[in-house]
Amino acid sequence: MAEARKSMIKIKPKKFKVGDTVKVDFIVIHPMDTGLKKNKKTGKIKPAHFIDNITFSLDGKPFTTMKVWETVSTNPYFSVNLKVPGKGKITVDYTDNTGEKNSKSKKLKPKG
Amino acid sequence: MKRRNFIKGICAASAVAATITPSVLLAKDAPKGGNVLSYDAAVAAITGGKAVADSTKVSLTVPEIAENGAVVPVKVNVESPMTDADHVKAIHVLTTKNGNARCADVMLTPMNGKGYFATRVKLGGTQDVVALVEMSDGSFLRAAKPVKVTIGGCG
Repeated sequence: MAEARKSMIKIKPKKFKVGDTVKVDFIVIHPMDTGLKKNKKTGKIKPAHFIDNITFSLDGKPFTTMKVWETVSTNPYFSVNLKVPGKGKITVDYTDNTGEKNSKSKKLKPKG
Repeated sequence: MKRRNFIKGICAASAVAATITPSVLLAKDAPKGGNVLSYDAAVAAITGGKAVADSTKVSLTVPEIAENGAVVPVKVNVESPMTDADHVKAIHVLTTKNGNARCADVMLTPMNGKGYFATRVKLGGTQDVVALVEMSDGSFLRAAKPVKVTIGGCG
C-alpha cells in the first residue's frame, strides 16, 4: 500500500437542488514528474511519475473517465460537471504510472 | 619533448575533446522515460484519419500570455444538449509543440449534464493549445488558441 496522497473534492456551488448541474473539482497533491527534470541535489534525472487514469463515479457508476499524461501540471486540478440525480456519493479513483492506487470520496447532498 | 610537439599534442587532444563532449552531453540530455508523441501523430491516433472541423460550438479558454509555463489553466466548454442521443463523447486536450502532445483525454457521459472540462497544463514554450472534441455521432470538432509563454515549464 502506497502512502496516501492528499486530495480534495469540491462541489460548486455549495447549495444545489436535484436536477442542477454542479461543478465537481478534484485536486490531488502529486509531483507529476515528466522524466526530464534533474534533481538539483544529486544531479540525477528524476524518473517520470504521473497520474495516468482517473475515474469519477457516482454510487459506483462511472460518469467520467480520464486518461492523463505528464504534461498536466504539478498538483493537478480537474473539473467536470455533474447533473445531480439525487443523494449519492462521489468517488474519484486514480492510479499513476508506478501502479499507485488511491481514491477519495465525498457525499452528494442536494437540498430541496 | 620539443615545445612544438608539445603544443601540437595539446591542440589535438583539445580538438578531440571538443568533438566528443557535445555528443556525450546530448546523449545525457536526451529524454529518458518520457513519452514522446508529436501533435500530428496524436491527432491521427485520436481521430483515426477522420476529418476534423473547426467549430464555434467548442469554446476554449486559455490565457493569452502565460508567465509561467508550468501552470497554464485550460477550460473547454462544448455546446451540447447532453442527451443519450446527442452528447459529447470525449474532450481531448492537446498541445502543438510539447514533447508529448497529449495532455488529457476526458470521456464524458450524459450524466455530466454539460460538456465542460477544466485543468492546468504545462507548456514548454509558445504554442497552440487545441481542444479536440468527439461527439456521440462520431464527428470531430476542434478549437485552438495560441498561448505566449515567457518561461517554459516542461524541462
